[in-house]
Amino acid sequence: MSATGKLFSQKKPYDVASTEELFLRAMRENCAFHYARSEAYKGILDGAGFSPDDLKTEEDLARLPVLPTLYFKRHTLFTLPEKKLIAKVTSSGTGGKKSHVGFDLKTLWRELKMVLGICKYHRLWSAKPTRYVIFGYRPRKNSLGAAKSAFAFTLLAPAVSRVYALQTSESGIRVDMDGLKERLIKYAKGRLPVRTMGFPAYTYFLLRQMKEEGVSVKLPKGSMICLGGGWKQFYAERVEKEDFYRLAYEVLGVDESHIVEFFGAVEHPILYTDCRAHRFHVPVYARVIIRDVDTLEPVGYEQAGLVNLLTPAIASMPLLSVLTDDIGVLHKGPCPCGCDAPYLEIRGRVGVKDIVTCAQGAEELLKGEGR
Amino acid sequence: MILYRGKLYPDSMQDELIERLGGDIPRILGENRLTARRVIAACGRMFEKAAAGKYDELARPILQDFGISYARYQDMVRAFSAEMLEYKCMIELGGDGEELPPLKDGTRRRLAPLGVLFHIAAGNVDGLPAYSVAEGLLAGNLNILKLPAGDGGISVRLLSDLIEEDALLADYIYVFDVPSTETETLTRLADYADGVVVWGGDAAQRAARSLSGVNSKLIPWGHKLSFAYAAAGASDGDLRTLARHICTTEQVLCSSCQGIFLDTEDMGELQAFAERFFEILREENLLVGKTDPAMRGRNTVNLLCDQIEGTHVRVYSADGVSVTVDADRELQLSLTFRNVWVKALPRREIVMALKKQKGYLQTCGLLCAEKEREELADLLVRAGVVRVTRGDLSRTAFGEAHDGTYPLREYTRVVEIER
Repeated sequence: MSATGKLFSQKKPYDVASTEELFLRAMRENCAFHYARSEAYKGILDGAGFSPDDLKTEEDLARLPVLPTLYFKRHTLFTLPEKKLIAKVTSSGTGGKKSHVGFDLKTLWRELKMVLGICKYHRLWSAKPTRYVIFGYRPRKNSLGAAKSAFAFTLLAPAVSRVYALQTSESGIRVDMDGLKERLIKYAKGRLPVRTMGFPAYTYFLLRQMKEEGVSVKLPKGSMICLGGGWKQFYAERVEKEDFYRLAYEVLGVDESHIVEFFGAVEHPILYTDCRAHRFHVPVYARVIIRDVDTLEPVGYEQAGLVNLLTPAIASMPLLSVLTDDIGVLHKGPCPCGCDAPYLEIRGRVGVKDIVTCAQGAEELLKGEGR
Repeated sequence: MILYRGKLYPDSMQDELIERLGGDIPRILGENRLTARRVIAACGRMFEKAAAGKYDELARPILQDFGISYARYQDMVRAFSAEMLEYKCMIELGGDGEELPPLKDGTRRRLAPLGVLFHIAAGNVDGLPAYSVAEGLLAGNLNILKLPAGDGGISVRLLSDLIEEDALLADYIYVFDVPSTETETLTRLADYADGVVVWGGDAAQRAARSLSGVNSKLIPWGHKLSFAYAAAGASDGDLRTLARHICTTEQVLCSSCQGIFLDTEDMGELQAFAERFFEILREENLLVGKTDPAMRGRNTVNLLCDQIEGTHVRVYSADGVSVTVDADRELQLSLTFRNVWVKALPRREIVMALKKQKGYLQTCGLLCAEKEREELADLLVRAGVVRVTRGDLSRTAFGEAHDGTYPLREYTRVVEIER
């Protein structure tokens, strides 16, 4: 079995300490795989004077050339022929540009094993029939990554029903907040647990609206609020986690221990799930390096910088070390939840500073990444 | 919130009030005439209060956001003093416009307002919507203002205060908070107007064009591009002033320098220049204090992407500032936030290179030997530049034109009356 295969078959998803060696080997293997098959990737590594064999120690991981997610928005970079890519996803394209990413069967198999392991660890599986409320789109062919992961999420417990908040009609996208509110009030009278899934912003807007209208219900036992995708364009309106939890309890009667948040990216399809203490521990399948905003040098723990995500999971594209648009901090344990893997805190996004401009075109540039 | 003839109304009354405005406009225009003198007096009284600190609390957070000193703010406020408004009228209209020298045959000439102005304001500078209305009033017009998204109430507050100084002004000021997506309502307001004043980028300009009829005049205050042109005689002092300007304006203003054209064809010379400017920019950056980490991070990511793609000939970067050496001759937007391109542009090619950006050109910071200054300035003007400065491209002077024209002239018409 390949090192990557072994890594993704690990039984303990957060046992980072005992998988250091294996992770390094898997990275070297994945790097060599893309180097041998992708002209573009080989060119990038050669240009940086780096060869897959240079991955000898853990420190070498930081020397592996990073590719910005921005690069994947400008270029489509497949290592495997397109006919092998059985799943294609598109990033939600904050700021207009989208990444097109494709995965092969082998990669998806690894992903599945990862999801199984992580959800088991976090006790997200349930045999109880559940009603799902999705703050997102109904998934369609070639749809956004967010829609696909939201759908996949409804497989964790048998679905009795699924409702979606975002509806595409002739006049554009519509957020049906009132419809969702009615559903939640109705479901609260029943016995089946409810799971909501969606962007924190939409979830928060709905909770706030319900509170303003004086609505307060108690969802059935075992109900969960699941959040994913970050605050995106609503970054300025984000609220403290504690305030969010308090509001969720007041309005839906769901306590903090039943609120779970996910983090991931189309260009880094690793499932980060928050622990009991609401921290995103880095699972064995990935590593996080925080880099200086000016020099890109690693800054270590407890210091804010650009978030660089590493994983050997992907065979179809050279996504082994991507530089995101996020600014974050990597913390060292211990954590009250008992997990000693380091955890990632996202502090913000690059380029988000509430500033408006008048230089011709600068407005557009600041909103996205275009030139 | 709606401001209608000096009174505040909720947005829910929008349709009703817009309907009423259709009847009020001809009645008001038929009954009265607004003179510059009245407007200057009201603004002057408001200025006295502002100078005494009335708006300090309102202004402080804005000044902080834009890094504007209190002294500079007071200087900016002085533009509303009676003295400065009279000076503005003198420069732009040659006086109050009430009486121009007659034609040879004795025909009387004077200036008259366009009539009704519809201002579509942008949200990039707080207070700008109110300023736009003040200029419209100064030219004697009735003004309808569409607030930008997220105005936060400053415009209504300032305009209400102005009405308090002279109740007559109530008839000439109308503020609606119509979202840009309500094109039907906007078209209706534009239909009332003789002139549509539109602030904002290309998208806003295009939208305004589509909603204003052929029988109303469009007055576009669009987004512009500015740059520096350096010739062999540019001194370190000149470059230092330029670097300081780049750091303090963050390259986000219409007048902010996006990059530097060097009068050369030699790439070696260009690189040497880039290196020299980079050292100066680096020093000024640390003196001013580094910019926001989120913006530095964004630029680092962009430069890394460029590096992988091989976009630039050479990149000098440190401490969140960068100078890129590029092989093309295009005037383009920089990454902003202290990231400058340098490109070779021999003087004989200035017009050819800049003509591609016609309509977008604003300021050029010209750095050269004194003896060449006039010749090069003239060349830049022929290429379409409207303002030639030295290293501080964003310096302002009372009485200066706005993007190559005088607003008060745009907002008035010349009338002739045979004796």
